[in-house]
Amino acid sequence: MSILIIKDATSKVILLIFCSLVSFFALANGEIGDHVNDLQGHLNQYEEEVVWLLKEVTKLTNHYQNKGTEAAVTDVLIDNWESVDFHAAIETNYIQIYASIWQGIYGVKSSIDEGKEIAIVEQEQSNLERAMWQALGAVKLAAKYQQEGLLGGQPTTDYTALTSSETLEEIKSSLDRSVAKFAERLPEEATDIVLNAYLELFEGLEGDLITKDATLVEDLEKDFNVTLPQALNSSSTLSEVQTVVESMKGKLDRSKVLLSEIDSARRDVF
Amino acid sequence: MKLTVLAGTFFRMQRRSLSQLLLASAIAPWPTYLAGQTQTSVSVNDLPPLEGELTLYLGRGEGGLYENVLQAITDRNPEFDLNVRRGPTAALANAIIAESKAGINRADLFWAVDTGAIGLIAAQGLALNLPTNLTNQLMPEFRYDNWLPISGRVRTIPFNRQRISGDQIPTDIMKLPDSNFQIGWAPEYASFQSFITAMRIMEGTAATKEWLTKLNHNSKNYAGELGVVMGVERGEVDLGFANHYYTLRLKSGKPEARVDLAFTKGDAGCLINASGILTMKEDETTINFMRYLLTKEVQSYLSTEAFEIPLVGGIASPEGLQPIENLSPPEIDLTQLADLRPTLDLMRELRIL
Repeated sequence: MSILIIKDATSKVILLIFCSLVSFFALANGEIGDHVNDLQGHLNQYEEEVVWLLKEVTKLTNHYQNKGTEAAVTDVLIDNWESVDFHAAIETNYIQIYASIWQGIYGVKSSIDEGKEIAIVEQEQSNLERAMWQALGAVKLAAKYQQEGLLGGQPTTDYTALTSSETLEEIKSSLDRSVAKFAERLPEEATDIVLNAYLELFEGLEGDLITKDATLVEDLEKDFNVTLPQALNSSSTLSEVQTVVESMKGKLDRSKVLLSEIDSARRDVF
Repeated sequence: MKLTVLAGTFFRMQRRSLSQLLLASAIAPWPTYLAGQTQTSVSVNDLPPLEGELTLYLGRGEGGLYENVLQAITDRNPEFDLNVRRGPTAALANAIIAESKAGINRADLFWAVDTGAIGLIAAQGLALNLPTNLTNQLMPEFRYDNWLPISGRVRTIPFNRQRISGDQIPTDIMKLPDSNFQIGWAPEYASFQSFITAMRIMEGTAATKEWLTKLNHNSKNYAGELGVVMGVERGEVDLGFANHYYTLRLKSGKPEARVDLAFTKGDAGCLINASGILTMKEDETTINFMRYLLTKEVQSYLSTEAFEIPLVGGIASPEGLQPIENLSPPEIDLTQLADLRPTLDLMRELRIL
């Protein structure tokens, strides 16, 4: 399995928005294909897949409109989404939109399964279409960066030391992945991602951070260990979970400033 | 089990033979010292330059401060290449063992944040003996034949000084369950599990089970030990169990924090655990690299920046912690803390985990 990492330091800030996968992780739906290391070469394929997926959604909603809930097998929405390479392309490059796609898929699925009016189903379908096209745009931009050599393949990050700033970005990426898993209706996986981010990443930073702002650390401790896990394991909506995560990201950004000040003031070893 | 018995049973279990001593000393171009003597701390300016290439497996921790040390060493030694593989300490220990079984030796050195992982490697016979002129730089109680403690952390009892006073806290950890204090703990935290492992080794499984059972009734769980200290400070509990540096760091950022430290005496409650390094490659560069970690500059850096306890004589303890000489840690072979499985089984049996 290959993953994408950012090679050019000056582009990190922009590219970290796209490249959510600084760390090694396995996709819930199988291995990432090699195609993610040649996004440009697969853009036509991705676009065809998006067109196909959306046509299939339209077929399903038409079927529902004509024949009702019993005739519309909505599991096909998930099967189709999990069968395309575009799935991995967006998951490895823009996890936030990936979450929106899952939200859209479940929006259409639930509205049909619950026998909602066709207007509501069509609204959900519209949301899904918007997320799909937005995702294709994000992958095209990632392909451009990749082609310019700003994204490269690497087998593992084991040998890479992360700065505190990069660690915080990785934590934020983990939170986005957690939201994606929540949107995928996998709350336990979502919670594991959060707790791992706390134990493996945040814990290494909080010792320094607490010397600068104990209250901030206290808030984040509660967010990591109580607020977000509770939201992920309750009947919260995706929007509510995203609100918690956005609040945490704000605190992590504040942490980045403080840790930068600490690093600047740090004495030399020798 | 009494500590006097432990001293003979567990402490300093591994003694090298004269021939091993001579072999180990022969590889180091460093003035040799007789076993038992304590060398004063060495300055980096007195060390030979490092040359060649080494691969270090580094357990994650300490927020990048170990990385700063490694960077400083490599910056100072342009003829030296250090490859670093990073990961969770336990995962790296397992990788080293797996690689060894496969006949692969990728790691020359392993720097672990806890001694349990060190013990795992040592138990496989993979850790090579070290020269005494290196190990003797450490305080006598931290000298081991085949691994080098780098910096320490002591188990403490942080307490809320507005709710209780320090003299109300028993100095015997085993008597704590008989008090009516509300207690915070982090059972899933590795340092807590090492503390319970030490208790099990020292006091026996039955006494540890009773201790855990009693405390389980009036304890509040926290995810980590910083959370414990903060819970104590907020007054959610009277006291807790945590490594010392969480309280020091909290008070560094919040001097008015209502938390102070209490220490037990001669038991697992004031265990001094350590990060440590071991080598699987016996050569001059490897040993000299380890010397850099014991220099007064590195030891002082880890004390002031990471609030860790220097284990080389003559270096001040972190601000806010009493000198190590004033602490009463139990005498225990730290590598025995690798025997974690029975501890986890016990905690699961009691539904603490």
